[in-house]
Amino acid sequence: MDTETQTTRRRARGSSEGADLELTGICKRFAEFIAVDQLDLVVPSGKFFALLGPSGCGKSTTLRMIAGLEAPSEGSISIGGQDVTELPSHKRPVNTVFQSYALFPHMSVLENVAFGLKRKKDREAMPKAKAALEMVELGHLATRKPAQLSGGQQQRVALARALVNRPQVLLLDEPLGALDMKLRRQMQLELKTIQTEVGLTFIHVTHDQEEAMTMADVVAVMNEGRIEQLGPPRELYELPRTAFVANFLGKSNLMRGTVSGQEDQLLSVDVAGNRILLPAARAVATEGEIMVGIRPEKLQISATEDTTAGMNRLDGIVKDASFTGTTTEYLIEVEGIGLIGTFAQNRGQQPGEMGQRVFLSWDPVHTFGLRGSESELAGVEEA
Amino acid sequence: MSSRVLGRRGKKLDLRSAEELRAERRKGRTGQYLVLPGMIGLALFFALPVLVLLAMSLYTKPPGAEIGEFVPALQFSNYAVMLEAYWPVLLRSFWFALIATVLALLIGYPMAYLVAVRLRQHGLLKGILLVLLIAPFFSSFILRTQAWKQILSDEGFIAQTLKAVSLLPADGHLTATPIAVVAGLTYNFLPFMVLPIYANLDRLDTRLLEASGDLYANPVTTFTKVTLPLSASGVFAGTLLTFIPAAGDYINASLLGNNRNTTMIGQVIDSRFFRVIDYPGAAALSFVLMVSILILVIIYIRRFGTRELM
Ligand SMILES: Nc1ncnc2c1ncn2[C@@H]1O[C@H](COP(=O)(O)OP(=O)(O)OP(=O)(O)O)[C@@H](O)[C@H]1O
Ligand SMILES: [Mg+2]
Repeated sequence: MDTETQTTRRRARGSSEGADLELTGICKRFAEFIAVDQLDLVVPSGKFFALLGPSGCGKSTTLRMIAGLEAPSEGSISIGGQDVTELPSHKRPVNTVFQSYALFPHMSVLENVAFGLKRKKDREAMPKAKAALEMVELGHLATRKPAQLSGGQQQRVALARALVNRPQVLLLDEPLGALDMKLRRQMQLELKTIQTEVGLTFIHVTHDQEEAMTMADVVAVMNEGRIEQLGPPRELYELPRTAFVANFLGKSNLMRGTVSGQEDQLLSVDVAGNRILLPAARAVATEGEIMVGIRPEKLQISATEDTTAGMNRLDGIVKDASFTGTTTEYLIEVEGIGLIGTFAQNRGQQPGEMGQRVFLSWDPVHTFGLRGSESELAGVEEA
Repeated sequence: MSSRVLGRRGKKLDLRSAEELRAERRKGRTGQYLVLPGMIGLALFFALPVLVLLAMSLYTKPPGAEIGEFVPALQFSNYAVMLEAYWPVLLRSFWFALIATVLALLIGYPMAYLVAVRLRQHGLLKGILLVLLIAPFFSSFILRTQAWKQILSDEGFIAQTLKAVSLLPADGHLTATPIAVVAGLTYNFLPFMVLPIYANLDRLDTRLLEASGDLYANPVTTFTKVTLPLSASGVFAGTLLTFIPAAGDYINASLLGNNRNTTMIGQVIDSRFFRVIDYPGAAALSFVLMVSILILVIIYIRRFGTRELM
């Protein structure tokens, strides 16, 4: 189907639905400072896309360029196949839930929510706005001014104000940051339901990894104005391609080593005298000095040595064991490598006490390989 | 320190000790004493003169009295006589002041917006323009009006140019016309319009304008629905600060007017006091002016100002 018939059908139905969003070679410079650097991004129509990254990495700036509030220094933006780079914000089929809420202080909550619909001359602006307020459980506060609401309530008004317009692309800049856990989970479900029902394209900026992983179809990890890696949450978690992603998204044990050989698609890497196997397909670099990574939960920790053939093995001394309820987290000092983190379910038997020697093992298929030139601490502090 | 906690049913429980309460009351009283000098000043320099003026407006001239000799009385007819003679002048004063206020708003708002919002990131330029806005206050009001007289005079550059391009007839004038008076009023009271609006727009959160654009409002709608309502209290203050002094002004009308169809009430009061030496008449007119301005302002506040003043 060509785009023209698609557009006509969409118009005929009189409702907007999600549209493809495409950023090509987007750069944003503030004087000398580069906030967004050569960003290429395609978000297919109706997808839930999460943008994850440390503070100041350019997430809000990216959203602002999509919304038309900031002009890119370079590159182009298109929505539903139409180039909108030069289009002013009020003509774009995009709405934003602002990080600062940006509610109109002189209008009631209800008027705030109805604002966009009224601009579009929607006859049912008021009933729709009321329904949207009910959805975020604020129907009873419709006549209040924003200043008379709590932070979390204001945030929900901002959410309703943007959602009620059913834009083709909805931009959410940390829309749930001020909510408590219970409300947050509830809003996440609500958002996901709306997104799938109406088929809107969501671009969701968040600091909360769990939120990004549970809600999004595609997650992009951003750092210093660039997208480090992009993909489905599971893929991103299981196979990080940079040390930054490995550390920022969840936790990783990263160890430096030298590739010593390859057989049957398995690289063998010498890590401080230990032979670690890893699938060549899971390594970004396959020669020389590389970094070997393994997620903490993939490690088996036990008081006796695992002798199963083909497993990766390390041993060390327990330096720290902290009880967290369902699990106990361990830090194990491995000679020549340093501290390795892992945890064990609390099923009764303790694999090791402080100062005891324990054995670690894992299936090579979970191992991943990164470039040796990277710092193993990249993204640790930011996470 | 006092601490308040919310009791059950949301009632405030006062947990302050008697000593704390006493200390607080003492603090409250200190505040009251601080107001005292101001109150005395107000009584001495405002309330008293107004009362004297009110009394004077009812004086009468005894038969065979000398010039400037009046005796206390309750001659209310002073008001009737003055109103009868000068109601058109009073009306004209308000009319001129209104036009000048509207013009000052139309000129002043964009100026304030430019400096407060558009140039927010440009510290130096903003500072220079702000100084220029305040600069007129550094020179005398009369001097500036005199300068206007020169600028608009028949030999002046503007009149000559307008005549050259036939926008003004060869025997036309710019001075000694209502236009010149209104222009003078507008010019002289412009800073009173600009500064309150500037102070207001300076605090305007421009992210709200972005949000408005994001919600499909074009720049004009954003202005009428967001910027203007949010700066309403500045506009309100500016219009009052312009209209009130403009209505009572007599310098502009004297220097730029022609005394026939430009006379303003301030001029009449001035000449009643100092030339005709009719103190009760002048006092009565002053009082009429004051009360009518008060009434107009109250109507205005009722109509537009409630939200800001509450
Ligand atoms: N108008 C501006 N002028 C100069 N620098 C700016 C401007 N706006 C943003 N920046 C810079 O660009 C970088 C990216 O900012 P941005 O707001 O996109 O960060 P972010 O990823 O949204 O961070 P956060 O998670 O804290 O909201 C920051 O270093 C910021 O200081
Ligand atoms: Mg941000």
